[in-house]
Amino acid sequence: MEADEELVRRTLSEGSHHFGVLIQRYADYLFGLGMRLTSGNKELAEDISQQAFMKSFTYLKSFNSQKKFKHWLTGIAVNCYKDLIQKENQYLSLNIKDEPSYTPHLEGNTDFFNLIKPLNEDEKVLFTLKYVYEYQVNEIADLLNQKLGTVKSKLSRALEKLT
Amino acid sequence: MNQLETILEKEKGTSYPQRNKELFSFYILTLINQEQASRKLKRKLWISLLLITAGLFFLLSPISEMMNYFILNLSNIDTVDIFIMAAVSYGFLFVLMVLLKKRIAILS
Repeated sequence: MEADEELVRRTLSEGSHHFGVLIQRYADYLFGLGMRLTSGNKELAEDISQQAFMKSFTYLKSFNSQKKFKHWLTGIAVNCYKDLIQKENQYLSLNIKDEPSYTPHLEGNTDFFNLIKPLNEDEKVLFTLKYVYEYQVNEIADLLNQKLGTVKSKLSRALEKLT
Repeated sequence: MNQLETILEKEKGTSYPQRNKELFSFYILTLINQEQASRKLKRKLWISLLLITAGLFFLLSPISEMMNYFILNLSNIDTVDIFIMAAVSYGFLFVLMVLLKKRIAILS
């Protein structure tokens, strides 16, 4: 199996078709992350995964091969999630009383989704990355471009809310 | 705390597979190629616009001189010259129209 970094290098030098391997390799991972962050909203999870792949291709030249591609991709997906949630909130804040209501298609482990319900977007991201994907705190800080102390304090606040 | 751990363990064991990964990958690559093509087209359009502007600048700069010459020599102008000028202009316009039609046919 070719390494991610090698595929990135080949994508940049030989063309986008090599990126297809990376898409297939991380499609489940990004979709799963999206499902967990959106509490099982399949449509939003698919949008997150799609946008994350598109953005990662656009900024592929800026990828630092010293870092793990998966971590870099996770950071992009989290940013896409935050952008989408912001857009969703803007849409919901509009007065749409007369519009037919839209019910998202929810799937997955409802216990987990109910568990993280009281958390805000930031806390959901940190909690999921730390306790489901078992990332180290310094890794999370690195991939989200946040200070280590900030991540630690947000995580402890999230845990306080849940216990 | 125990309940939290149980839920987390259950969640770790849950998988969320992306349906039809090959199709998904193909779709993303198509979107990427589309975006690249549109970026290339925009770049080409900008370059064309720059070239046209530069060309117009070079063509239009001596126009006042030409107009002065035309106005001064209006009394001496020959009708044959006017017909020749009109024929050349219409001919040039016809060629431009044909080229434009061909370009539109290629793009569509």
